[in-house]
Amino acid sequence: MNRILALLPWLLALALLAALPQVLTVKYYLHLSILALIWVIVAQGQNLIQGFTGYVSIVQAGFMGIGAYGSTLMGLNFQWPLWATMLVAPLITALFALATGYPSLRVKGHYFAIVTLAFNLIIVIVLVNYSELTKGEAGISNIPKPWGGNREAFYYLALVLAASLTLLAALIARSRVGEILLAIRQNEDLVAALGIAAWKYKLFAFVISAMYAGLGGALYAHFQGFINPEIFGVAQSLDAILAVILGGSGTIAGPAIGAFLVVFLPEILRFADSFRLILYGLILVLATIFMPIGIVGIVKAAFARITRREARHGG
Amino acid sequence: MSNHTFTRACAALAITLVAGSSLAAEKKLSVGVADALTGGGAVYGLPQANAVKMAAEEINAAGGIKVGPDVYKIDVIAYDDKANPTEATNAVRKLIDRDGVKYILGFCCSGSTSAVASFIGNEKAVMLVGNAAERSITTKKIPNLVRTRPPADYTGQAAGTFIARKGQKRIAVLGALDVGFYAQYVDSVEREIKKAGGEIIAREVFSLKDRDMTPQLTKIRGLNPDAILVVGYVEPAAFVYRQAVELGMNIPRYGFTSGSEEQFLRVTTSEQMEGVWDLRPTELTLLSASKNGVAYHANYTKKYNASPSPSSPYAYDQLYALKAAIEAAGTVDNTEAVAKALRNLAVPPQVVMQYQPVDGKMFDVNGQAYTSNGAFQWQKGKWVFVEDLPSDSKAYSQFLSTLN
Repeated sequence: MNRILALLPWLLALALLAALPQVLTVKYYLHLSILALIWVIVAQGQNLIQGFTGYVSIVQAGFMGIGAYGSTLMGLNFQWPLWATMLVAPLITALFALATGYPSLRVKGHYFAIVTLAFNLIIVIVLVNYSELTKGEAGISNIPKPWGGNREAFYYLALVLAASLTLLAALIARSRVGEILLAIRQNEDLVAALGIAAWKYKLFAFVISAMYAGLGGALYAHFQGFINPEIFGVAQSLDAILAVILGGSGTIAGPAIGAFLVVFLPEILRFADSFRLILYGLILVLATIFMPIGIVGIVKAAFARITRREARHGG
Repeated sequence: MSNHTFTRACAALAITLVAGSSLAAEKKLSVGVADALTGGGAVYGLPQANAVKMAAEEINAAGGIKVGPDVYKIDVIAYDDKANPTEATNAVRKLIDRDGVKYILGFCCSGSTSAVASFIGNEKAVMLVGNAAERSITTKKIPNLVRTRPPADYTGQAAGTFIARKGQKRIAVLGALDVGFYAQYVDSVEREIKKAGGEIIAREVFSLKDRDMTPQLTKIRGLNPDAILVVGYVEPAAFVYRQAVELGMNIPRYGFTSGSEEQFLRVTTSEQMEGVWDLRPTELTLLSASKNGVAYHANYTKKYNASPSPSSPYAYDQLYALKAAIEAAGTVDNTEAVAKALRNLAVPPQVVMQYQPVDGKMFDVNGQAYTSNGAFQWQKGKWVFVEDLPSDSKAYSQFLSTLN
């Protein structure tokens, strides 16, 4: 019974999201929802390394870029079918993550963050300068879109993928691997003292996190039909981190909520004209200071307080 | 005719006139602007958005856009795209999907413009691009897209000829060379310099956010060039000019920046800028401006309490071109007809820039307009138009048509 109750909000959210294209009369909101669902995937990946393992990675957008360019270039240069390129994109990203993760994860804390930041910068520099392949800053346009660019169909694709990958993240979190990742976050030295090769688990989290980003990037490319290096810069990696923090780090629902916030909030704030970014920045600063446990953390704490009070009154 | 009959006739005439004028209903036409209103691109984007708003006010004051019996007053909805591709896509989606806008103007920066150009062909909308200079924007033959600014390499060719004529053989380049259209400009300059037996001896890069250029300049100084060529956004370019003087580099400085006096003087002094050349499309400066240009400068300065950036009339001209095209097409709803009318448009008399029509039309088959190119020099606190640069719009148009 408890399990069904726990699943209820998820099922409700899923039903609501599934009904969204039928409810929305203005397709602009559908466009934003698709972007948000892509960001759910990216943020769930970020949460695995940042929220569960405790390593703040600043290369998530760079990995998105590898997925986006990988899928696009395979399609354009080798005429691979779109679905095949989208499937292979996370695998290519995984290879890059393996190569970069192994040396990066030798350092901890701020040093790890700085190393990953440097990797993101390198990825952007390569995308800008290797213009024979990537067309540089001008970017690649007319990237094929599935179903001839039908946004409603793409929305359902993004929804299915976001839901499946959220479920996968939950399964990882509840598995023994997930428990070890949490233990690494709490006390990595203790994990090592127990004879567990922590580096393998960290690398696992980093690579899976990159694969999420790679798939997100491929989806982005085939949704927007245009990519250039600017989209995959450090600012976007910070958005992934923010999505996790705002929603609730180390929770499953948190990154999903955070992803919708980082996409919708700047758009909602358009009424503020040139003050929009100041307002957005201010909201983020205040949220980070006053809501360090994120929205999910606050809701959970409030729920616990209410149930405790009811139990006290009842008893 | 008795007095009574006369009165009745007058009343009937008055009723007819009132009824007739009510038939010519006044309607609203929403026009969108997607441009960089904040961030690094705002030096170009914000003046463009202002220019569109000003043009809309002028057109409305002069009676609006006349389509058959209807008169349309223009309402401008401007959104910030931060010169970012995702933001630009979101802004344009909002304009088309939510606000029901069919005509979208602005577009100062190439990355964000290319992102929108990649899907605008599938929309029942017309996109008018301003300052974004990346060549590929008008090589894709998108029927509902036109651009008022010529591509960077069209100007680069003319600039290269000018530099070669000045006799400088060893040119050091310092610029935002990771930005595609700046690199295209330099490539064109290099081709012309090589023809005259010269060479580019260095290609040093700065990013758009860099402010300290002394490492690159020190390296360039060691190579002992005859001149430097600076390509990039106004602010970093201004720092290069200032720091070149501070490092004692007393050599000719050429540039491709399109910044106003006010924008440069935020970073440098007039003395540090003295003698700098800007080799660019013949954009707005008071000394080169036509009557329209002088009026535009005065009106803009009065309205916004700041001088307009030289490239801002690209957006101003967009709205006048759109007005002429809508009136020629006789519809605001049929965007296909308006897009076609734009392609067949003669240069409207109200525009500020000095366009070089191809086959008598403002936009060529690619949807590209061409202005003349000019050599401007900083003299005693002002950009002074010195001479026209040789530019063959027809030949370039044919070249552009061959690209894909």
